Amino acid sequence: MIPEIGYIRPRNLREALEALGENRETIRVIAGGTDIIPGFHINSRRFRDIRTLVDISGLPDLTFVDLENDGLHIGGAVTFTDIVKNPIIREEYPLLAQAAFRVGSVQIRNRATIAGNFVNNAPCADSVPPLLVYDAVIKIQSTRSEKTLPLEDFLLKPYKTQLQPDEIVSEIVLPPLKKEYRGEFYKLGRRRSVAISRITLAVLVKLQDRTIEDIRIASGAVTPIGRRFRELEDLAKGETAEVDFLKELSVKLGEEILKITGLRWSSAYKLPVVQQMFYLLLRRVCNR
Amino acid sequence: MRKKFSIVGKPVVRRDGLEKVTGQAKFADDINVPGQLYGVMVRIPVSHAKILSVDYSAVENHPAVAAICHAGDIPGAKKVGPIKQDQPVFCYDKVVTPGDVIAMLVGESEEELLKLRDLVKVEYEPLPVLTDPLKALKSDAPLIHPDQKSNLIVHHRLRKGDVDAGFAESDYILEQTYTTPFIEHAYIEPEAVIAVPREGDKGVHITGSIQNPFTTRKIVAKVLGFPLAKVRIQQAELGGSFGGKDDIMNILSARAALAALKTGRPVKIRYRREDSILESYKRHAYHLHYKVGFNKDGKIKAMKIDVVADGGAYSSMTPFVTWRTVVQATGPYETENVWTDVRGVYTNNPYTGAMRGFGSPQPIFAQESIMDEIAIQLGMTPDEIRRINGFKPGSVTATGHKLENHDVNLLTVLETAVTKTGFSEKWKKNQRRGKMLPDYAALEEISANPGPFILHKDDFLEPDEVYRKGIGLAVSFRGCSLGAEGVDAVAAYLSLQQDGSAYLLSGLAENGQGMRTTYSIVAAEVLGISPDDVFYLDLDTGYVGDSGPTVASRATLMGGGATRAAAEILRSRLENVLRQHWNLPENACFVFRDRQVYAENNPERKIAFAELCDLAYNQAVNLAAIGWYAGPKVHWDETVGQGPAYFTYVYGCQVAEVTVNIATGEVYVDRVVAVHDPGTVINLLGAQGQVYGGVTQGAGYGLWEEISVDKGFIRELNFDQYLIPTSKDIGEIVPIFVEGEDQYGPWGAKSLGEPTLELTAAAIANAVRNATGKRFFHLPLNLEEILLSKKLHPTSKNRGSA
Amino acid sequence: MKKKSVSSSLSRRQFLKGFGSGVAGSVALNKIASALPLQKTLEKAANDANRTPLNLSVNGKTYRLSVEPNRTLAEVIREDLQLTGTKVVCNHGECGACTVLLDGEAVYSCHILALDAEGKSVTTIEGLLGGEELHPLQKAFVKKDGIQCGFCTPGQIMAAQALLLKNPRPAKEDVLEGMSGNLCRCGAYPKIIESVLEAAKTD
Repeated sequence: MIPEIGYIRPRNLREALEALGENRETIRVIAGGTDIIPGFHINSRRFRDIRTLVDISGLPDLTFVDLENDGLHIGGAVTFTDIVKNPIIREEYPLLAQAAFRVGSVQIRNRATIAGNFVNNAPCADSVPPLLVYDAVIKIQSTRSEKTLPLEDFLLKPYKTQLQPDEIVSEIVLPPLKKEYRGEFYKLGRRRSVAISRITLAVLVKLQDRTIEDIRIASGAVTPIGRRFRELEDLAKGETAEVDFLKELSVKLGEEILKITGLRWSSAYKLPVVQQMFYLLLRRVCNR
Repeated sequence: MRKKFSIVGKPVVRRDGLEKVTGQAKFADDINVPGQLYGVMVRIPVSHAKILSVDYSAVENHPAVAAICHAGDIPGAKKVGPIKQDQPVFCYDKVVTPGDVIAMLVGESEEELLKLRDLVKVEYEPLPVLTDPLKALKSDAPLIHPDQKSNLIVHHRLRKGDVDAGFAESDYILEQTYTTPFIEHAYIEPEAVIAVPREGDKGVHITGSIQNPFTTRKIVAKVLGFPLAKVRIQQAELGGSFGGKDDIMNILSARAALAALKTGRPVKIRYRREDSILESYKRHAYHLHYKVGFNKDGKIKAMKIDVVADGGAYSSMTPFVTWRTVVQATGPYETENVWTDVRGVYTNNPYTGAMRGFGSPQPIFAQESIMDEIAIQLGMTPDEIRRINGFKPGSVTATGHKLENHDVNLLTVLETAVTKTGFSEKWKKNQRRGKMLPDYAALEEISANPGPFILHKDDFLEPDEVYRKGIGLAVSFRGCSLGAEGVDAVAAYLSLQQDGSAYLLSGLAENGQGMRTTYSIVAAEVLGISPDDVFYLDLDTGYVGDSGPTVASRATLMGGGATRAAAEILRSRLENVLRQHWNLPENACFVFRDRQVYAENNPERKIAFAELCDLAYNQAVNLAAIGWYAGPKVHWDETVGQGPAYFTYVYGCQVAEVTVNIATGEVYVDRVVAVHDPGTVINLLGAQGQVYGGVTQGAGYGLWEEISVDKGFIRELNFDQYLIPTSKDIGEIVPIFVEGEDQYGPWGAKSLGEPTLELTAAAIANAVRNATGKRFFHLPLNLEEILLSKKLHPTSKNRGSA
Repeated sequence: MKKKSVSSSLSRRQFLKGFGSGVAGSVALNKIASALPLQKTLEKAANDANRTPLNLSVNGKTYRLSVEPNRTLAEVIREDLQLTGTKVVCNHGECGACTVLLDGEAVYSCHILALDAEGKSVTTIEGLLGGEELHPLQKAFVKKDGIQCGFCTPGQIMAAQALLLKNPRPAKEDVLEGMSGNLCRCGAYPKIIESVLEAAKTD
């Protein structure tokens, strides 16, 4: 059951920010609503304090996708359907398009927004690993200020981010990526559709012959929140992408995850599988 | 020679298609009655407790509460149940599972009531919770129902031959234990019912998502203390049931009726999905121990089977569900010596009852897995071992029933499936596999330290080692209809109109399976009209005779028989009219076809069917008839489990082809070839639909579905956690019908709905065995089961927990 | 539990007592309250002050409503507009039975606040019917038997409609993907997919 709430439909970002500024404590942004509405229905603790919703879905100043010199700018309220369809994203940032395509179902992708996905910051948020390997930077606005910060820093812990109650993630910037990067996205769910991710992985590699010049690694659903594995990346740089090393790297990933999560109910399954699937992913990226 | 039909066996579009594709079909919650109130349930979050007191003071004078209904309001039976009356309509002394309801708040705003229900104060004393049926059977276990001697609901025994001697003579003995989980029906439409108090002494009228209106009527009348005729039940369009809208709807109907009579206003109850999964009954979880003795030549000598079914909190249909298990537990295999025990047991888990399959999917999973293991041990293929032991005409079942007077088509369906799929070659090829399935479970057991979760370099699978193909089959025989469970008879009312159109109504209920269309075809075939001429009436217990429940895949067989009988009564009356009209002798015959009636030996002599109806009408001939179809007597000796349990049987074979990702444990069903002998196909479209549906639900049973229970509490309360297959999860399904001859049913048409479901999980499990070289003993074969041979469950109750 | 006789006058009297009915004697007369108008019952008891005006365009018709902000589009369609073809099954955005078109795109109407539909065009299953004439998808679902119990059918057809609006000649894979957000427990999937492909052929 949805509690009694107020509903504000601003005409633009400015109005949305003003509304947020006025009712800081009990107001919350709603975009696609695919997390909030079901959350209300099951009386989720995370949404109990909400008294007013500010609906930013479809606001023109939040639903653009623009290629500029400093990278691709994606409005915070761009839906996953729009991401899947966007030719630039498909071409230049294919891992994001792939991840977007694996979100829920058509109906969910038509509503769910990219910023909503990581602002909700569920461990299994599908867009997070690709955004992390693309070094996404996000722009956060409020009536007080405007700031940019890396997505990686924005995500704090499950369902917690740096977002303040009066702020909106207005855009995501994906810096330009050199053509030499190749990547893969992987998602494991229990079903082929409308599946909550059990494991997600995103990898970008830049190879010089067989040498790993650069590598970026991120995962979702295996750690408390989606994250990059910098130590692993540093370890891999300069190494040769041959089978033995890729296995070593995969084992390291398992060890890293174990270090972060400790033993969880799902470890017996997820830990071996994430290593295995990461290895297969690396084989695909490095052998293409 | 098979009879030539003009409509039967052809694809006929649904008679109720139009209202369903336009959104006009009225399901229970689509119906609103002026002045209606809503009922909302009061529960306490406990699996087993003694109720000490209930304090309604916070809500009883609240303006949003029109009435509070509880056990004290019940004039008749406070406890109900189809076999044993052990389930309270409202709990008053104890709560025995978390779905239990103590009271119902009634008022105009459902939303308000949902907020208010938490204000009812219930004082209770928690009691020890029993979730393991094996422990519940121990003599010192606390009694879930203290008025009963033990937690045993039922114990069926089957004793045939001498098993000890059989094992002594066997070259080999194989013993294995299998388990299957609770399963949610997951009918897409959640429960809804509306009870309307009628004027004066007319009682109550109930419309709802009700599978078995006559059963509901019995229960409601008992609870109200009304004669049956004062309770009228009308079935709304039913949004799926699969055996599931029986007991739960009986109880919800009784609650709605009580509230309607108490308030004098219509009362609607509609469940949210979470309420539905919480309170409604499930398919039984089974624990199955099989011991099979067999010889080098593959011949089975003896089987000893011990089955324990978790009945949950109430007995519901457990005695009958487990009875089908005891009859069919050996599978369709000739076995001289059989010793079977099937026990149903009370626990504090959700209660269990009828679900499509009804006690067969569980033993089929075990028995078909073991048959494959025997084949593998003897170096045979799965089809060979089944050819050796499978039922043939004249074979005797474990219950001592000699199979005759129908086509014993087991080997025919087997050969058809095996040939169609190239089974043996594929199976043998897959048996020669490369690197084995990783055994992470073994890693884990080495020590409690987490190191073992980290792979060694030689553990890694290479890209070309990940996907494995497997093929597996399963066969079954299935007794049709109710068998020795009880009275087995059905009524059908057919009324021809002056213009040749017709009203038809059977006492069985449309559950979405297409029964209306099937019956329209049967009537149309007999009368030579089109199914489009037949208009199906809404089922109301006031308008047609009690025909028992729409269960046990009996609708086509029994209701089709009744419809044919009604149509033949009318046809014979029309023939008499025509003989007089055309001055033909007593023995003159006619052909009814294409809305025309012809003299048999003179096709020139004809009359339009409509004209004939008009003629008969004007001669004051009764153009309405009630057809009646009663199943032949069956017999059962319950001390030794012997007798002809069912009057006829159907046979099926399914072959599943799968791809297993041995790195993740994902199983994809590439194709299922489903070969069934439904006797005669009445509607090809409907029959295909049954196969698609049965296989899809069966695949869900095999791979994803599980109601898991934590101290009696269900973890999967909605479709985000209880995963049923989507359109993308199953590859091709190929239905093939091998028709047989049978003396029963309309032109020998028998059962199909349940046989299509019961085989799939077993066929998939055998295919996974073929792909991976590993036998799996516990359904569902989900990701963790494949890689760890066990289930993992979240420790947190938060949804979406990774 | 001791069984009570169904027909004894004792139990009948207890029954009357149990209900606190004032009717005496041997005839069990039902208490019937005078019926309230339907609309009144359907209306929420909630505070009117919290209502917000909503111009809702459904199937080409604009409705002037006043709704509480916490109501979903599915609720308003079913309860206020009495367009009961749209079904609520999971109320959790998992099953697709509540699928409607919002500006031509398939959405789960249980996921959307009604107020969010202001200024947008909503199409429900009832809107597909062009007068007496069935929509090609409706025809195809009947012809190809893409139905069993029919409860998920309106949602299936609306998902298919959205798919065909975007992609009039879809490949089978596109249809499988486009329809995968709609559960069918009867398992009519093969025929649902066939129905959509058939409609694409004839459209």
